[in-house]
Amino acid sequence: MALTPEGTGAGDADWLRVHPASPFVRGWVALAALFLFFGRDTFERLLQGGPVFDESFAGRAPWLLLGGGTLLLLTVIGFILSWYFTRYQVAEGYVRVNTGFLFKQQRQARLDRVQAIDVVQPFLARIFGLAELRFEVADAGESAVHLAYLRADEARQLRATILAGASGASGAAGSSLLPSAAKEPGQPEAATMEAPERTVLTVPPSRLLGSLLLSEQSVAIAAGGIASVMLSAVTENRSFTVFLIPAAIGLVAAYWNSFNHGYNFTAADSPDGLRLRYGLLDTRAQTVPPGRIQALKVSQPPLWRLFGWYRVQVNVAGYGLAGSAGEGAARTTLLPVGSLAEVLEVLSLVIPDSGTPDSGKVFTAGIAGLAQAAGTPGTGTSGSADRPVDDGGFVTTPRRARLLAPLGWRRNGFTATETVLLLRSGRWWRNLVVVPHQRTQSMALQQGPLARRFRVADLVLHTTAGPVAPRLIQAGLDEARTLLEAQSARAHAARKRQKSEHWMDPAAEPAQRPAEDTQEGPHHG
Amino acid sequence: MPTEAIDPPGIDWVRVSPKYITVRLAGWALGTLVAVALLSLPLALVLSGTWKWPPLWLAVALPAVWLLLALWRLALIPRQVRSIGYAEREDDLLIRRGIFYQRTLVVPYGRMQYVDIAVGPVERPLGLCTLKLHTASAGTSAEIPGLPASEGARLREQLSARGEARLAGL
Repeated sequence: MALTPEGTGAGDADWLRVHPASPFVRGWVALAALFLFFGRDTFERLLQGGPVFDESFAGRAPWLLLGGGTLLLLTVIGFILSWYFTRYQVAEGYVRVNTGFLFKQQRQARLDRVQAIDVVQPFLARIFGLAELRFEVADAGESAVHLAYLRADEARQLRATILAGASGASGAAGSSLLPSAAKEPGQPEAATMEAPERTVLTVPPSRLLGSLLLSEQSVAIAAGGIASVMLSAVTENRSFTVFLIPAAIGLVAAYWNSFNHGYNFTAADSPDGLRLRYGLLDTRAQTVPPGRIQALKVSQPPLWRLFGWYRVQVNVAGYGLAGSAGEGAARTTLLPVGSLAEVLEVLSLVIPDSGTPDSGKVFTAGIAGLAQAAGTPGTGTSGSADRPVDDGGFVTTPRRARLLAPLGWRRNGFTATETVLLLRSGRWWRNLVVVPHQRTQSMALQQGPLARRFRVADLVLHTTAGPVAPRLIQAGLDEARTLLEAQSARAHAARKRQKSEHWMDPAAEPAQRPAEDTQEGPHHG
Repeated sequence: MPTEAIDPPGIDWVRVSPKYITVRLAGWALGTLVAVALLSLPLALVLSGTWKWPPLWLAVALPAVWLLLALWRLALIPRQVRSIGYAEREDDLLIRRGIFYQRTLVVPYGRMQYVDIAVGPVERPLGLCTLKLHTASAGTSAEIPGLPASEGARLREQLSARGEARLAGL
């Protein structure tokens, strides 16, 4: 098989290589450009009906052929060398990748620090049955490790191996299994079974299309279109309609991108975490292990309310900031469009322990709830969780500040359960942000001059880079202060608790852990 | 407008060195000088007759208004510096700043990834330094300016030690 290391010495027999076709699949653009550059002359002449070889060409032909051939040869040699020197290894709790022959790079990442694993199949790779494996750790602008390309089934097997090692769920097997799997490169697949999974929901293409048509983007486009038509009618100047053509092309591309990435979206539950699959031409399968979600946002653009649709986005360390469209946005989307029931289902998967007996009610209140017009009763000093549950326990902006947010003051609010903090906002653009207590990085209480006049303050929770920016808007000053204190205490308690579960403690250094930590995986050293 | 502090009650804030006012003044002087010089450019051009358009009063008003605002900010600097404070608690570090725009930041020790100390050209002769804390979040802009160098070094060691003892996963 392709992965068998042929030319390696006995010492590093467990180093594997990626598929030999990888550089060609990755570098097909370079090859295409090469052919285009040297073939264009001939091609153009053919189109113009001229002879393939004319006199002037005949003189140049040897030189052209020589130059083209040399370049082609160099490119192919480069490809082969880059393939030969790209090797990877999964052993002893680490995944290691060596690349480069002039500038060598060695990279290793701890398995138990994995934040997410993606198996990506760009269109061309998909034709050849190849897949790229991406392994994300925290604090990486780029993927910590990406292996392009492996055979699709090998990529899945490797993912299963990595996840088994990372989860510690396999207990002692986690360490014994990995070296054995790596020592026999011919059959590492036999060692690790892929974790079973249960499909939770799929997004039908019709709904995806509908959600795109009703998204904020479409509203902006409609407004822009109307504005430009009116402008052209008023000024009687048609010339600037020319600019609409590239704009339209851009829009079609953006819609296509969203459709391409959201097509056939499937979420599945497995012991290794949530599995997301999507894509029309380029497909991607993401695995987000449990406890890796730093913050989560349920949002609803105004037009989606017609159908009761919601979108769920997450911050995962290593995914980084989502771009406007395309890959980044797709990767941080947990559910591109779904009903309330599906949203609650997804929430129950990623937050298995919501820390409240009536999670459905609390989440629903967070997504769609509204405080009574009289304001939250008794906006005093007490916390939130023990409030009589009329509005899911949400403490909203005090009535005195309703001039600051005439629409949103009954929406803007927070509540905390045993395990998560819920922040909701927005009357038209509904938002609910959920932050697990043990994922809070730091917090800041902020207040401007206007807010001070109304004795309200904002509480900002800092999390890793991503589309979700948790912020409690215009809470009463006393409530905000109490929350700041209570939340620090809750986060502290949650951090202490989390160390006992292997899936939950991805980044703790073994040397820096307190001695009472009992459930360390054997490969922690 | 009554200025009510937003920080939780019962915290002993350690204030930064009053010498930090000098640092801020130096920054203010440089910034104002450059800005006023740039904004006076139209005035010079109008006076020399190169430019016709901006009337003289507008050309004068531009740097004048800027200077006025800068003077107001100058008057605020001592109070702003006095408002900067930090407090070491059992499990977290608190940092506060601001008068009009107040901010109280809580950074748990277990969340600190690393601690920086920076010394600028104006700070060095005054024996001051700036301490920066970094967590996994870019939003944590935790900075304590105007620390005496010895206090900065002590704080860094203290924070690193506490951070290691309490380091938690992401």
